[in-house]
Amino acid sequence: MLKVNDLHKSYQVGKATYEVLKGVSLEIEKGQFVAVMGPSGSGKTTLLNCISCYIPADAGSICLDGRELAALNGEELAAVRNRELGFVFQDFLLLDGLTVRDNILLPAIIGGSVSQETERRAERLCRVFGIEHIQGKFPAEISGGEKQRTAVARALINQPLMILADEPTGNLDSKSSRAVIDSFCQARDQMAATIFMVTHDSFAASFCDRVIILRDGQVWRSLERGGRERLDFQDLLLDSVREMGRE
Amino acid sequence: MKSFQEVYTLLRRKSRKQYGLLWVCCFFSVLLITAYVCMMRAPTILNVLPEGGDSRKQVMMIFMLAVIGCAVFTLYAASLFLRYKSREIGIFLALGAKRSQLKSLLMGELSAIALSSCAAGALLGAPLALGLWQLFRLWVVDTEEMPLRFDPAAYSIALAFSVFVFAALLLMGRRFVGKTNILDIVQASRKSEPIHTVHRWYGWAGILLVAVGAVLGYSVPSFFILSLHWYPPEGLTAIFYLPVLLGLYMLLLHTVVNGWSRKKRRYQNIVATSMMKFQGRQTVNNMLVMTLLIAGAYFASFYTPMLGVGAMMGYDARPVDYAYFYRDDQDVPREAEVRQLAEEYKVNITSYVEVPMIRLAVDGTYSIETEGKLGVTWQEAYREQLESGLFLSESGYRLLTGEEIDLEPGQIAAIMDAEGQGRGIFAGNAGIVTNTFTEEKRTVNSDTKLRNDVLFGRYVCDDEDFAALSDGLTEAWRETMVFFNVEDCAGSYDFAKALFNRVVDGSGPEVAVLDAWDPVTREWRIAEEGSYWYDDDLLHYEQRNSSEFRLYWKYMPQFQVLDKADFVKTTAVFIMLFVFIAIVCFAAVFVIAYTRCMTIALNNRQVYEDLGKLGASRAYLYASVRGQVSRVFTVPAITGTGVIYAFYAMIMYANDGRLTLSEFCGMGVCLLLILAVSLLLYAVYRLTLRRVCRALDI
Repeated sequence: MLKVNDLHKSYQVGKATYEVLKGVSLEIEKGQFVAVMGPSGSGKTTLLNCISCYIPADAGSICLDGRELAALNGEELAAVRNRELGFVFQDFLLLDGLTVRDNILLPAIIGGSVSQETERRAERLCRVFGIEHIQGKFPAEISGGEKQRTAVARALINQPLMILADEPTGNLDSKSSRAVIDSFCQARDQMAATIFMVTHDSFAASFCDRVIILRDGQVWRSLERGGRERLDFQDLLLDSVREMGRE
Repeated sequence: MKSFQEVYTLLRRKSRKQYGLLWVCCFFSVLLITAYVCMMRAPTILNVLPEGGDSRKQVMMIFMLAVIGCAVFTLYAASLFLRYKSREIGIFLALGAKRSQLKSLLMGELSAIALSSCAAGALLGAPLALGLWQLFRLWVVDTEEMPLRFDPAAYSIALAFSVFVFAALLLMGRRFVGKTNILDIVQASRKSEPIHTVHRWYGWAGILLVAVGAVLGYSVPSFFILSLHWYPPEGLTAIFYLPVLLGLYMLLLHTVVNGWSRKKRRYQNIVATSMMKFQGRQTVNNMLVMTLLIAGAYFASFYTPMLGVGAMMGYDARPVDYAYFYRDDQDVPREAEVRQLAEEYKVNITSYVEVPMIRLAVDGTYSIETEGKLGVTWQEAYREQLESGLFLSESGYRLLTGEEIDLEPGQIAAIMDAEGQGRGIFAGNAGIVTNTFTEEKRTVNSDTKLRNDVLFGRYVCDDEDFAALSDGLTEAWRETMVFFNVEDCAGSYDFAKALFNRVVDGSGPEVAVLDAWDPVTREWRIAEEGSYWYDDDLLHYEQRNSSEFRLYWKYMPQFQVLDKADFVKTTAVFIMLFVFIAIVCFAAVFVIAYTRCMTIALNNRQVYEDLGKLGASRAYLYASVRGQVSRVFTVPAITGTGVIYAFYAMIMYANDGRLTLSEFCGMGVCLLLILAVSLLLYAVYRLTLRRVCRALDI
């Protein structure tokens, strides 16, 4: 589904150059729920932004469903973002002037394909994520958890190949965080969605099938949940984080 | 909702305040510029502003300030709007909208805003100018030359400004959508404006630059003309004022970022200062525009008090109530007729003196201008019969003024103004006088100077010389000076008016000439150049009440009561033009200050909510808001007022190396005007503060 190979990215700050990604390589299978963890400055968000085509990588390749993203022009990248990727942001990025339902339909509207089927899909997503009762409300009238579940539903409306989520629980309380993680799990289980989530939160990451830990711009470790219980997997994650801290 | 267009339309409806703000800002800018340019280019105005004269240059200079101010204001409004739109555009891009799609939508709505606001502003600009002018005519003064006519060509300048607004909006929109990094756009609305380190010396360096720029800008053109004999292009001389702009920018930057307060008060204003610091560029740009407009507005406003005070003091200081002179070949009232007219109007003449004058040629230097690659240069040339001078005999002078004077043969005295100055038009240094008919020539000594405002520009000579030099002169070269006083000067307006009309009616077309018209100069100009330009610029007696006639007729009588009562009428067009300019500039200042303060409220709402959560009392929040709003108003007001007042005083001083009593009094009246405008500004500040607090729920 997604193949990242030897990805490099650096930033120029004044005269100094900071290399943030130093040859990251990873693969994600269809239907997998994968988290990327790591300390601040490890390159998590930069990796996500490169995969999202928001910023160009300096070197390396990103293949989505067999297509090399670097080879695409602006219009083609926009089409990829619209149809093949779904996005969930830390601060939701819902449009205040649109209702919850219209926000969910927005990627389909942008893509120019709001059919009856799309509208039915929106209804279903609202039902699945428990936001059916707030469909007609505006973002200012709903809670943070409801906003993020709206954002997850929006990310799924075009049935993308993959959902990219940047700290989706970062601005939420524990109850809302749980609701958002549940909605990701539902998306994976009920719609076979592939999810790539950047997070600091080991609790959120413990629900994933796999957790990639970055350190200093490189993949430090990749942990599979396998058949482990969620709590055991969370312990494993915490142990790994502790171990990384000791090195 | 099924189409992207529908979503965009819905969002536009929800954001109508932001769209409205941009529309109003563009409309306001074009409206002001159109109104200004319609007025500036109106034939009514151009008729009374001499081409190349100082008044026209002042109007043009303030217009340039207004254009810069309105342009910066429009760009600011556009950047504010795009900043607001950035989140929306960023989300669309992040969700896969194509740039081309967004670009066409944004361009479409920016075009609509620009076209409609510019069209409305341009259409209403002329009615605004006309409306204000009609109000002046209705409430202040109305004269026969005041009916306003517009020149359709003025619209080309308004159109050019509209094109600028249109192009600026589209270019900014295009650049905005064209940003390659979506993350920048998504985060743009949360970005503070970075501000580079501002050293504390910026403040004093700014003040120094303003002073240096003002002195350079004012004195360098005179240096070019007097020392290099070169009239430089106006664009070049304007460059020397640039340090003023740079200095003002540094001064405002230091005030906004560092502040002038001592360290122990630093914590008291820390919230207001830090908020302004991180919106530094926009704040300073706005303040600079306001400062320039305030300076321009005051520059225009000072015109009336300076002119008025100077004129009124001059009228009061006249040594005689009624003075007029005429060529002896004209049918202008002589003593008997004057006395008869006075009787008709029940005016008691207490003293009456008529004194003969003769017009002789005098020598002097003049400039010969040559047009070259670098502009116009000039050279000084001497001519024995350069122009004419009016000569009184010493006994005649004694009769008129009561002053004792005893001149030797060959000695003449030049009559300067009451301050002893030549006002830049009369050197009073003739060395050779010639009777143009007998060609009798006398070498004279003109070192003696006399002072008299009414007789300004004339010479006095020894009685014997006067008699000898009068030989052979025809009536056209002989003139009579009349001085008389009346019992109740203030109550003799009707008589003065009737006598003025009689003087005008009795004057023939050969004397319907400007003050600068001279028979001797005319003769040699025609002989050498084939024409004399003042022959083409004749006055019309039917326009005897126009400012042009009253100010520039060669034989204009000086009747104290008439001059005082008709002063406003005589100078109505000048005064009202400058009042109009001041109103336009101050209106722009009020709107910019109000908009800037409301922006502070919109941008900092979250900060004030957070401060409230941190336990800040309403009083603290109010003080913080007041700190910012008052700075937006006071810093440009104090800077603009201070700079222009000092500049004006410098000009007054530099004119003749001193401040005369009338200039000093005029500057005092200007202070009163500043006080009145400051009160108005304070009222707008209070209104704005209330609105901002309401917007922030404080």
